[in-house]
Amino acid sequence: MRYGGDNRGRLLIIVLIVTSLFLITLDLRGVSVIDGLRNGTQTALTPVQKAGSWALTPFRNFASDVTHLGRTRNQIEKLKSENEKLRNTLQNRKIADAQLKQLKSVLNLAGSGGYEVINAKVISQGPSTSFTQTITIDAGTSSGIQSNMTVISGYGLVGVVKFAYTNSALVQLASDPGFRIGARIAQSQQIGILSGQGSRSGVLQLLDNTTSVKVGDALLARGSDNGRPFVPGVPIGEVTSVDNSPGAVTQTAEVKFYANFSTLGVVAVVKRNPASDPRDSLVPAKPRPTPLPTVTIYASPSPSPIPEP
Amino acid sequence: MTIRRYLFSIPIFLVIYILQEAFITQLRLPLGGFSLLLIFTLIWATLSTPEIGALTGFGAGILMDISQSSPGPMGHWTLVLILAGYAVAFLGYGDDNIRSNPINIVLITTAGVVVSQLVFLLLGLLLGQALGSISHVLFLLAGSAFWTAIVSPLVLKIVSFIHANVFGTRSLI
Repeated sequence: MRYGGDNRGRLLIIVLIVTSLFLITLDLRGVSVIDGLRNGTQTALTPVQKAGSWALTPFRNFASDVTHLGRTRNQIEKLKSENEKLRNTLQNRKIADAQLKQLKSVLNLAGSGGYEVINAKVISQGPSTSFTQTITIDAGTSSGIQSNMTVISGYGLVGVVKFAYTNSALVQLASDPGFRIGARIAQSQQIGILSGQGSRSGVLQLLDNTTSVKVGDALLARGSDNGRPFVPGVPIGEVTSVDNSPGAVTQTAEVKFYANFSTLGVVAVVKRNPASDPRDSLVPAKPRPTPLPTVTIYASPSPSPIPEP
Repeated sequence: MTIRRYLFSIPIFLVIYILQEAFITQLRLPLGGFSLLLIFTLIWATLSTPEIGALTGFGAGILMDISQSSPGPMGHWTLVLILAGYAVAFLGYGDDNIRSNPINIVLITTAGVVVSQLVFLLLGLLLGQALGSISHVLFLLAGSAFWTAIVSPLVLKIVSFIHANVFGTRSLI
């Protein structure tokens, strides 16, 4: 027998739906109790997330390792047969090395730009079930982090601090569909607005339709007042394709972010604006092709022997 | 009596929520991964009456809304999950052909997860949230369906066991 429902059941559903609509209204009107609830939850969850991060470190990239298994199957099989114990030790060492490399790289970028930064470790990635791109870092207001601060990695812009809690902070990645940043093209200084698209590529919309952009152009952050939310000069990405469709109001281009958001381990939050705008000094150098050595061989015919009479 | 039993399920959902936030989100799975809380909630609702399904959706929605990574306003996931919980419970209620067949429950849960996310997305659009590229959204929805279809059969027995102990043994699969 199918369920027909009764008045009590219908009343319950109506009460629940009205409650949820009431909550949405309260939140959109900025009632602080709702923010406090989220803040309190995050503060309570941070130690558990840190413990989870520690426990799952060896397995974190398991899925990506599996996808590469086919290509390097022979090599992996050979390594497995050599020494399993040594492999585990090496794996732990690799994780530490990778984090150290990322830390060095981000400090190098921050030093070159004159940014005062706070380093932080990524402890969690936001679920994609909500169609957002976020990460949680293990430093918060107790370390001096506040909302609307720029977050960078060794390659460039990562995102912006959306919410800062006591011992953690939520970072909105530049790939998030809701992310917008004022960008300028290095050298030509054309300006535009870059928006995230949910993947590693973003879309740049130039403000002036008389200017042009070309593939390979590097993009930098324009910067905001007092460096919040964005400090100037942070490398963002490189133009990979340009939409030159006739009749378009403004020119648009697809941009590939320098930062690889799926491998973030250590990031830095820019605490203070640099004394002077670093301008184009942080644009990453383009890879130079390695010259191939050429060898010229001169061959001269040897004199043919004179036949003896 | 039913409400008292519903209250017993709150700590269970809290544990699932902590598992989701502290461990599942750490695993960088391809295709966007999955939400254990969403899967658990919909399986739980499938095994319940429509009223309990809606109440379960309400509780789980509140938990998903207080998650720091939730993009929408408080109540966004709550509204979606009340409707989803009620709907999946309504589909299965009184029909033993659906409830006693694990394949049907997995199918209902997988479809429920995808439709919930779609409704969440559409509601977000109405509330002024950015959508991003359509291809990426479709990719995530497909990934979510894939992972739900993988994970649901694995947790179905556990959810069924816990549900049977909370609400009585009739729902045990």
